Amino acid sequence: MRMTRQEFLKALLAAAAMPWAAAARAQQGSPIVVGATVPMTGPLSLTGKQYHNSLMMAEEDINKAGGINGRNLKIMFEDTQASNSTAVNAFVKLAQETKPALFFLSSYSTQNLAVAPELKKVQVPAFYAGGADAVAESGNEWMFRVRPADSVSAEGMVQCALNVLKAKKPGILYIQNDFGQGGAQTAAKRFEAAGVTVAGMEAYGQNDKDFSAQLLGLRGKGVDVILIFNYPQDGALVLRQAKLLGLKMPLVTSSAALVPAALQLLSPADLDGVWGVVDTFIDPAVGGRMQDFVERYKTKFGTDPDPYGLAYYDGAMLAAEGLRKAGTDPKALRDWLAAVKDWRGIGHVYSYDAKGNGVFDLAVVKSKTGTKSLELVQAIKLN
Amino acid sequence: MTDFIQLFINGLAIGGVYALAAIGFVIVYSATGVVNFAAGQFVMFGTFAGVAMLLNAELPWPVGYGAALLAMALFGALFFAVLYLPLRKSPVVTIIIGTVAIGITMQNAALLAFGSWPFRLPSPVEGVNLTIAGATISAHAIAVVVVTAVMVALLWLLFFRTSLGIGMRAVAQDIQAARLMGLKVNRLLALSWVLAALLAGIAGLMLGPMWFADTSMGDPIALKAFAATIIGGFGSLPGAIVGGLFVGLSEVLGASYVSSAYKDLISFGIMIVFLLVRPQGVFGERVQDRG
Amino acid sequence: MSMRFPLLLGIVILIAGLGLSMLLTDYHLRLLNLAVISAIAVIGLNFAFGYAGLISLGHAAFVGTGAYGVALLTTLLGWSPWLALPVAVAGTAIFAVLIGLPLLRLKGHYLALATLGLNVSFSMVAANWIELTGGTNGISRIPELQVAGHALADERSYLWFALAVLAVSAAVAGLIHASRHGRAMIAVRDDETAASMTGIDVTRVKIAAFVLSSIYAAVAGGLFACHMRFISPEDFSYAHSITYLAMLIVGGEGSIVGAILGALLLTFLPEWLRFLGSAYLAFFGVFVLAILVFLPSGLVGFRWPGSLRRDGRSKGPAMVAASKEVRP
Repeated sequence: MRMTRQEFLKALLAAAAMPWAAAARAQQGSPIVVGATVPMTGPLSLTGKQYHNSLMMAEEDINKAGGINGRNLKIMFEDTQASNSTAVNAFVKLAQETKPALFFLSSYSTQNLAVAPELKKVQVPAFYAGGADAVAESGNEWMFRVRPADSVSAEGMVQCALNVLKAKKPGILYIQNDFGQGGAQTAAKRFEAAGVTVAGMEAYGQNDKDFSAQLLGLRGKGVDVILIFNYPQDGALVLRQAKLLGLKMPLVTSSAALVPAALQLLSPADLDGVWGVVDTFIDPAVGGRMQDFVERYKTKFGTDPDPYGLAYYDGAMLAAEGLRKAGTDPKALRDWLAAVKDWRGIGHVYSYDAKGNGVFDLAVVKSKTGTKSLELVQAIKLN
Repeated sequence: MTDFIQLFINGLAIGGVYALAAIGFVIVYSATGVVNFAAGQFVMFGTFAGVAMLLNAELPWPVGYGAALLAMALFGALFFAVLYLPLRKSPVVTIIIGTVAIGITMQNAALLAFGSWPFRLPSPVEGVNLTIAGATISAHAIAVVVVTAVMVALLWLLFFRTSLGIGMRAVAQDIQAARLMGLKVNRLLALSWVLAALLAGIAGLMLGPMWFADTSMGDPIALKAFAATIIGGFGSLPGAIVGGLFVGLSEVLGASYVSSAYKDLISFGIMIVFLLVRPQGVFGERVQDRG
Repeated sequence: MSMRFPLLLGIVILIAGLGLSMLLTDYHLRLLNLAVISAIAVIGLNFAFGYAGLISLGHAAFVGTGAYGVALLTTLLGWSPWLALPVAVAGTAIFAVLIGLPLLRLKGHYLALATLGLNVSFSMVAANWIELTGGTNGISRIPELQVAGHALADERSYLWFALAVLAVSAAVAGLIHASRHGRAMIAVRDDETAASMTGIDVTRVKIAAFVLSSIYAAVAGGLFACHMRFISPEDFSYAHSITYLAMLIVGGEGSIVGAILGALLLTFLPEWLRFLGSAYLAFFGVFVLAILVFLPSGLVGFRWPGSLRRDGRSKGPAMVAASKEVRP
């Protein structure tokens, strides 16, 4: 199934050359509706905007390329805001009013967990991007993750600390929510399994703005690397305060601090000695579909895409292929998705396991000295 | 020891911001009896006034700070005229809920105007770090401590050395008597709102470079300013200062020496203990149920 | 006031709700469920705030205590929800007594700040006591309620159950309001000194109002847990306490009908106004403020000039009028 760049360009050309033919074909029959509940307002919209954008772009691309066997794809959006209850309302509203063939859920695990019982009632497959392992462990056979699970990310950060930075006394700093708590616990276990003692673990609240106590505490314990599990804004603030406090050891951050929304808050000096594990290293220089995606996204929305947004784009493409091959029958579509093996998206290779985890690859990156651009250190593939 | 110095200065700087927010809150409460639950959003407005002037309008910082504070003073006057005057006769619960509602509106108006992406508000002493006894300390943190001290001194001069300030104190003590003595009470009440907005503006401008500017920053500040006021004593200016510094220090030192996960529980726990054991705080009023 | 009003109120709730449950689609049924659950919590808040004048910004903490109680007893100990519900409610009541005894010596903004601190502390503990509460991941897989072997899995059957609980809650609240105890609460709100002069034990009345309000909150929390079947600390943050208070203010403080109307309106309003996006909360603030200024007794206080008041027996408004009349 691997597409070379040439094949891809040919396909694109073909699509561009025959817009009318494709559009005419696509208009046959009513559109296939896909529901998407993403945070479009409120504090989580910082990342939610990306999913909204990339799903809209995917919808357009799919329809330009002929839609789903001649039928158009239509993505209906509802806002989850930053509330579990509103997320479930949004989901039920869509399920009720538009009867989608498939859903995209938000990237916030608690929202995913809150929606899970409703999804089970509706019996339609859904892609989600919350990282918490608890979502997959809850055993809902209709849910498919489009991103690496948090334990996979944590494992990647541990590998970066051990193999790349040769940490002997790692410290862990984490945000007190499902993501941070889960990630920190997994990382601590992995370090222990590798025979390395974690010298210190510190937490901070979701609304905290001052991390001097935690950072100095870790420094006082003599840690040689700090793993940081964070969300975008607090992640950026931690990196900045670490420099203000004069911390010299390398920092390994989870991907949120390296999304464009967070990077715009940082100066090159703040990123000095910062490593990170990101879902996907977004680098237009690799060419092909990645370059095409990045450039078109930038032209269309005026901002850089982030790896989460890209995961939704891949998810939409995978969904389109499933709808073409298995049709809109929920059970058939679910079974097709569950059987996906080595499907190559732009950001990841997707192979679903029994729990609906599909992504096991990550990238270790670091900031180029004196700039805000990132460079790939190594790609990690886990089992 | 170096760690302690760093933590202490940081705690003082944060405490200074809480203290300014708490002073604004106390000035309004003493003069008008309004418990302003939107006090945190006042500080957020101050930060965003800075964002608007320094980042959006790209003014040089002395002009930008001046313009931001002017905007805040106007906002205080507007608040007095449009919101305080209609609500002033209402029972205390109505005013509490009213200011909560105003706070929600302020936060979301800012969200509509500035979006959910945070901003990095630069400091005039951006990037300057000092080394004291081996501890790295940002010049901004020291500047915050100095500005807080200067503001406290200026307020003292205002309240004890000018007729305007003495008038404000008279209004706070007994509004009827002040009116009978021929003081222009409404003007003094308006002035207390303006002063509160200005102090919140200064707190906001100093806070912007320490945190990032985002529209949801108001609530956490308000909670800390409330705790500071209760601990220091409701209605007491020295109380607000001591309470603010205490909350700032307890937050940073508590996170370091007790538990980072439960650090906020320390200041709220102390606040609740004070409420139960000594509701008038360290310096505060004796009456429990004023308002 | 007679015993008729509370019974009538319960019956009206049941009939109106059953009628609606036949007409509405799943999405609206779900919203109605949420509104009914909120209404129970707000009727509870009405005891503390509307009758006894205790301003509480921590009501969501009691809703959370009830919800966590049910969730923990069912998922950790495997209890039936029917057993877990009363135990969780009783636990919350004891918690409220322990909190109320020291806290209720405070008044006005002191009490407001103390209850706000209580709510913030509750969220913090719920988010950090990971071993027990699952941290911010919350608790999922809360079992469904079963009635005679039939699971209340769909929105409609759950609504019937929730309506029955609401009807009973409202009727009981009405009875309490009409009783000596309800009058004592209102007397304490209006003038503590005068109340104590007439032999009312002010502290006891306040505690009673506070505990009653927490019992209703816990019932609502238990229903919420069984309905969502997933809870997390976010569901019980102080922002929710403010929403409950806003529901009571908008509907009409001191009125059971007002509590129900406010809960209904403020549950449906954000969904109707989804198109406003980020502007909704700004609108919400202005809306609550406008009610405070222009309609201080809430929606139930709304009068078409010259009508309704003529006959003092007209149901909802009359009751509010009754409670208002004793107010200075």
